[in-house]
Amino acid sequence: MKAGTSMTESLNLTVDRRDGLAVIYTEGYINNQGGEEIARAAYKLLDEGFKVLLLNLAGTKIVNSIGISILIEIIEKMIEINGKLGFCCLTPTIDKTFHIMGLAQYAPIFDTEERALAELGELGELGGHRG
Amino acid sequence: MRNLASSASSAAIEAEVTSAGSSAVSLPPEAWRELLALSQDESADRALLERLLDHWRFAHGAAFAAVYLEREGRLELEVASPAAGFAGARWLPGMNGGEAPPPALEAAAASAAALEGSDLGVLTFPGGCLLVSPRQPAAENPATAANPATAVNPEHPEHPENPEDAAGAPGIDHGPLPLLLLSSLKILRLRQEIKDQQFQVNYRVVELESLYDVGLAVAATLDLEKLSEEILLRAVSLLDARRGALYILEGSRYRLQRTFGGDAAPWYDSGGAEGEEIPETPEGRKLRAFLAGESPAPPSELLPGARYLLGVPIDIDGSPRGLLAVGDKESRRGVGPFPASDRRTLGLFANQAAIALENARLHLQALEKERLEREMQLAADIQRRILPRGAPEVPGYELVGWNRPARQIGGDYYDLFQRQDGRVDLVVGDVSGKGMPAALMVSTLHSALHLLLDQVGVGPALLEMLNRHVFESSTSNKFITLLLAELEPASGRLTYLNAGHNPALLLRHGAEAPPDVAVAGAAPASDAVKVEELGASGLPIGVLSGSRFQSRGITLEPGDLLCIYSDGITEAESPDDEEFGTARLLALLREHRRRPLAELLEAIQTATGSFSAGLPQGDDQTLVLLRRRLA
Repeated sequence: MKAGTSMTESLNLTVDRRDGLAVIYTEGYINNQGGEEIARAAYKLLDEGFKVLLLNLAGTKIVNSIGISILIEIIEKMIEINGKLGFCCLTPTIDKTFHIMGLAQYAPIFDTEERALAELGELGELGGHRG
Repeated sequence: MRNLASSASSAAIEAEVTSAGSSAVSLPPEAWRELLALSQDESADRALLERLLDHWRFAHGAAFAAVYLEREGRLELEVASPAAGFAGARWLPGMNGGEAPPPALEAAAASAAALEGSDLGVLTFPGGCLLVSPRQPAAENPATAANPATAVNPEHPEHPENPEDAAGAPGIDHGPLPLLLLSSLKILRLRQEIKDQQFQVNYRVVELESLYDVGLAVAATLDLEKLSEEILLRAVSLLDARRGALYILEGSRYRLQRTFGGDAAPWYDSGGAEGEEIPETPEGRKLRAFLAGESPAPPSELLPGARYLLGVPIDIDGSPRGLLAVGDKESRRGVGPFPASDRRTLGLFANQAAIALENARLHLQALEKERLEREMQLAADIQRRILPRGAPEVPGYELVGWNRPARQIGGDYYDLFQRQDGRVDLVVGDVSGKGMPAALMVSTLHSALHLLLDQVGVGPALLEMLNRHVFESSTSNKFITLLLAELEPASGRLTYLNAGHNPALLLRHGAEAPPDVAVAGAAPASDAVKVEELGASGLPIGVLSGSRFQSRGITLEPGDLLCIYSDGITEAESPDDEEFGTARLLALLREHRRRPLAELLEAIQTATGSFSAGLPQGDDQTLVLLRRRLA
């Protein structure tokens, strides 16, 4: 971010459907709008049959309480359907926030996407989920 | 109300439910067993609620049923039956005192396509309501269409039959099932409230941790760019803001340092003069009211397009250094104003920003000081190289020179060097002023003097050329006093020129002082010697462009002692503001005139040091001592 320039508030999402799981890449602020965007993408993937999701937050520097509450709702939904949601590539600030807010109790957090895919990928394969 | 988690048998519950009245629901034992199992599973609160709602809907033969709970002043759909395909609105207008007002129901009907035009059944309770569509005629009810007496509902096969009363009369079953439903809802709500409270507590911890982390970051780095971003992002996220901006005061204007979530005005001018606090101008008053929380309106378009703004000053000891502003507080419903408590939180981040700014300023100051010190050290090294490292060995003479600058570098200059033909040149100069400017003049003097000595030798022409050079290359208030002497060792002949410098003192060996001692203030001594002064023969160098100088000559006889000094010696001050003076210097010269010059020099150094009693040295001190040895 250059001095005097603005950082965008909107969230850009990219979804990568893989064998057994889907990865959602975020870029931007996870706030009310951003959280809803993620929820829409996640629920769409659930409807498509994916039960293992990975949220790669490498492009996100900032998340607020509304965004966190929406992420918790997604986690609860995943638990309801016996699915799994994981996070990876968090900034130290977001990582700490997720641990304090209890997200890490129900959704594993990985340093790298490779590690996340290695672990969550097995779940996807074991569950026979489509992708 | 019966506790569903108790050990009561499902048959007993069924009996109770069945005896509740003609409209009460009768459920088969397997359905009760399922409900009991769900009720004992903490994680199945919602599943239990959904199941109960399903049973209730089927008990009514209704097409749809839904539970709405009040949140943020509105009713939010909590659970619907059937779960899939419910077309009702997610949000309904708020309730009023626990009773869903007619407009809410109308809105419900209007917004839910499935319920449109229906005669809704409503059961309100504190914090929410149950809505159910009317009973459907058996022919229209998919659950009973084939054979009302024996039909098995495909969704709920545990229901062997539909209620007898399926005439479609509007109304709500107030039997045990809705009570169980409400009880389940209450548990769900309590759990939700506990979760919400835990969320708030956790988020409070996040807030405290953020402040702690920002404090650590402020202490760990002096990168103002990075810290500004860190502080702004933390403030925006913790206050659930959509926008934010951090401004730093530069002169009389606030410069945008960082913004988040959209554009911000690159500059904000409060209309004050540079260095002035927020001025009493219209814009200044607006800014002051805004930052004090007295006015919600921004002083200008700090964050263009933001509907709600909160700003606090960044100040150090009451002096403004910047401002921190956030815009548009988010909730699930959209954006709104910031509550008063957010001002305190934002103020805490502003304090961190103030510390960061002050640290950065002090750091830059320290860096600048360090740079200057490095430059001064370099200049001091250069100057030390300019000054002679020792005195030349001149047969038949003793010669020492010494210089101690008042600061790291000084404006005094001396030089002692012997020419190839044996002549010895002695120079003592004093540049007006101190520090770096004086040191630069010393460097100029040194270069020019050496160049001219080779070209024209010691004489008036040299000083006149030097004078012109210094006059033209220095500022008007800079000048140099200079005593330049050249000794022919064999004859003892000393030619000198004094350009406004202190008179050098010449102590004649073996000569009695005349009654009128040449040096004013010198006390008579028992071993008084004749003292001569080598006084000025012209103005200081650099005063006038056309200054003229005269050379004079004396002869040093064996035992004669010559002392050339700068005024830093005689003007050294005591704690009583008394000057050391020429008389004390002369007394020391007299007293120690027969001792080796190194010891005489040390005696003078010790005496001036003792006289000043530890006070900082006020001026550069320079001494050159020359004595012709006794044969």
